[in-house]
Amino acid sequence: MRFGADLLAVDRFSLEVKAGEFVSIVGPSGCGKTTVLNLLTGLIPLEQGEISVRSRRPFAGNPDVAYMLARDSLLPWRSTLDNACYGMELRGVARAAREGKARALLARVGLKDFAGAWPKQLSHGMRQRAALARTFCLDSPILLMDEPFGALDAQTKLQLEDLLLELWNAERRTVVFITHDLAEAVALSDRVIVMSARPGRIIADMPIDLPRPRSVRALQKDPRFHELYADVWAKLEEGLGRALEEVH
Amino acid sequence: MSRWGRAAAHAVFVITFLAFWEFAAKKGWLDPVFFGFPSGIAEYLWDGFAVRKTLWLQLGYTVVGTLVSFFLGSFLAIVLALAFVTWPRLEHAMDPYLMVLNATPRIALAPLFLLWFGLGIGSKIAVGTSLSFFIVLSSTVAGIRGVNPDHLILSRSLGARPLQLFFKVTLPSAVPVIFSGLRLALIFSMLGVIGAELIAAEHGLGQTLSYLQSTFNMNGVMGLLVLLALLGMAVTRGMTRLERALLKWQ
Repeated sequence: MRFGADLLAVDRFSLEVKAGEFVSIVGPSGCGKTTVLNLLTGLIPLEQGEISVRSRRPFAGNPDVAYMLARDSLLPWRSTLDNACYGMELRGVARAAREGKARALLARVGLKDFAGAWPKQLSHGMRQRAALARTFCLDSPILLMDEPFGALDAQTKLQLEDLLLELWNAERRTVVFITHDLAEAVALSDRVIVMSARPGRIIADMPIDLPRPRSVRALQKDPRFHELYADVWAKLEEGLGRALEEVH
Repeated sequence: MSRWGRAAAHAVFVITFLAFWEFAAKKGWLDPVFFGFPSGIAEYLWDGFAVRKTLWLQLGYTVVGTLVSFFLGSFLAIVLALAFVTWPRLEHAMDPYLMVLNATPRIALAPLFLLWFGLGIGSKIAVGTSLSFFIVLSSTVAGIRGVNPDHLILSRSLGARPLQLFFKVTLPSAVPVIFSGLRLALIFSMLGVIGAELIAAEHGLGQTLSYLQSTFNMNGVMGLLVLLALLGMAVTRGMTRLERALLKWQ
C-alpha cells in the first residue's frame, strides 16, 4: 500500500505500509490525519498524487478496507448484535453466517451477554467494544482507525488498547491508526509517522522495536517504551517549533 | 399512592363535581339553558348510542373524515419531503408558496372547499388534509436532514448503495421526528374535519354540534363535547402506543 498526496490539507506526503504492519500517524490537530484516512477509504477524491490500496485506486465501499471512526457510530435502532452484523450485512454476508461471526466477536470483546441490548443501554467503553466487533467481523485485510479511543477515559482506553492488540495479534492485519496520543501510538504500533501542522507533512517515520505480543498496561513500566515515547515527542515538538517559526 | 388509589381519588372528585353540578342546576344556581344537566347529558349520549343509535353515523363520518385526511395529508407530505431532500432546488423554488399557504389559517379555506367539494365528506377531508400535510412535511424534511453524518460516512465506507443508505440509515433515524409530526397531524386532521363540519356539512359530529347549539339543546352540546374529548384522547393514546412499539430503542 502506498500513497503520495499533494493537497492543501496534506502536502508532499509519501508513505508505504507493508501488509500486516501496524502504523500509527500522529500529529497536531488539523494536520490532515483524518484527510489521509478519508483518501484511503475513497470517501473524498484525491486532487493530485497517487494512492494505491493493494494495487487498486481507493473507492468508497472497497471490501479490502474496514473503517472505524472516532465515535462508535452504532445505529441506535439496532441491537448490539445487529450493529456488529451491519458491515457484513452491507457486504452481502448471509444472515446465519454473519450472526454466527458477530456472536463470536461479541464474545471476544466481552459483550457476549449484551447481544440483545440497545446501544443506549451500553457505556461508552462497551459501545466502542461493539464498534471493534463490527470492524473485526469484516474480512478486510486493511483496517483504518481514526482515533477510535479518543473519547474514552484513561482506564477504559488502556483496556480497549489491549483488546485491540489482542484481536490484531491473532490475525496481523494491516492497520493505519490515527491518534494524537503519542503513548498510544508507541504502545500499539510497529511504526509511528509524525506529521507537522498544516499543511501536513511527514517529519519523522520511527520504527518501534518493542517485542510482540505486547501489553499496553505492562508497557507503562517499560523503560524502552518511555525512551521511544520521548523520541517521538521530541520529533513532534521539533515539527511544531518549525511550523511556529514559519508563521513568525 | 398506588395506581388504584389514584384512580379512586379521581373517581371521587369527578362524581362529586358532577353531583354538585346536577344539584346546582336543579336548584337553579346554574342556568340549565347554558349548562345543561349531567343526567341530561348522560341520557342524550345513551339515547344517541344505545336507543335511537343516531350518533354512530355522525361519529363514523367524523372518524372516517379524520383518518382519510390524516393518511392523505401524511402520504402527500412524505412524498414531497422525499422529493425536497432529493432535489433541494425544488424545495427552494416552492418554499415561498408553501410558506404563504402554511401561514393562511386553513379553516378560513373551508368556505372555498365547501363550494368546490360540496357538503359531503370531500370538503372536510380537504380542510383536514390541508392541516396535516404541512405538519408532516416540515417534520419529515427535518427528520431526514437530521441524520447523523457519522452513520452515513461509516455506511458509505462499508459500501452502502443510495437505496441502502436511505432504508438502513436515513429513514430509521428520521422515524422519531416524523412520528412526532404524525401525532400532531392526526389531532389537526380531526380539528380540520370538525371545523369544516361546524361551518356546513350533511353529517358529522361538528354538524350535529352546530345543530344542537342552534336549537339550544345544551345537554346535547355538552354530551358531544365529552364525546369529542374522549375521541381526541383515544387518538392520542393510540399514536403513543404505536410510537412505543416502533421506537423501543429510544
